Amino acid sequence: MEAGDLSERLRSHDPAVGLRAVGALHRLAEQVETASVALARQQGWSWEQIGDALGVSRQSVHAKYGK
Amino acid sequence: MSTRFATGVREVVTAALEEARRRGDRRIGTEHLFLGLLHDPGPVPLRALGVDLDAARAALDALDQVALASIGIDIQGVERAGIPASRKRTPLTSGARSVLERAVKEVAYERSRRITPEHMLLALLACERPDPAAELMAQLGVDRAAVRDRIHRSDT
Repeated sequence: MEAGDLSERLRSHDPAVGLRAVGALHRLAEQVETASVALARQQGWSWEQIGDALGVSRQSVHAKYGK
Repeated sequence: MSTRFATGVREVVTAALEEARRRGDRRIGTEHLFLGLLHDPGPVPLRALGVDLDAARAALDALDQVALASIGIDIQGVERAGIPASRKRTPLTSGARSVLERAVKEVAYERSRRITPEHMLLALLACERPDPAAELMAQLGVDRAAVRDRIHRSDT
């Protein structure tokens, strides 16, 4: 989607809809992250590799998902 | 203030916290308080609402899906994993805090001593858009004036 399309769609809407979408995106990102980290671990990725892929430190991924 | 809350109210706030965590929300908002009220369908005010927990959860998800669709994202049919529990505390939004404050005022107005889930429902019914509980009740087709009437009638 073009950036112009997006801003046009948002302008035509109630701000409550755009703001709700932001909240839903945050949750969606967390859900995709959770599923993908689990899959990466199953496939033998190290915490360091996962951290690099997410752009965060090994420690922070491990603290969040390590058991 | 907290000593004046009847046990039912604490349970509602605990249930609201559960709802926020379940959805992966970082704060307890008025919509979570509304869902929290529906955890125990026994009390009179909730029968006055005519809505159950599953319907309310589904309506909230529907609002999210519409919002995502408005920015071109379709998550229908996407399998979504549970989010690990955050170790951070989950505070109330300012809207949720004012609902609790309004519940306290409902009590003062009635001259009763304890804040019950019914007072919380009255406070939630007073929310106006863009408050998230107001949006949710609109989505569910709750007739707020009728529910308020039914609650007041059951008091007398």
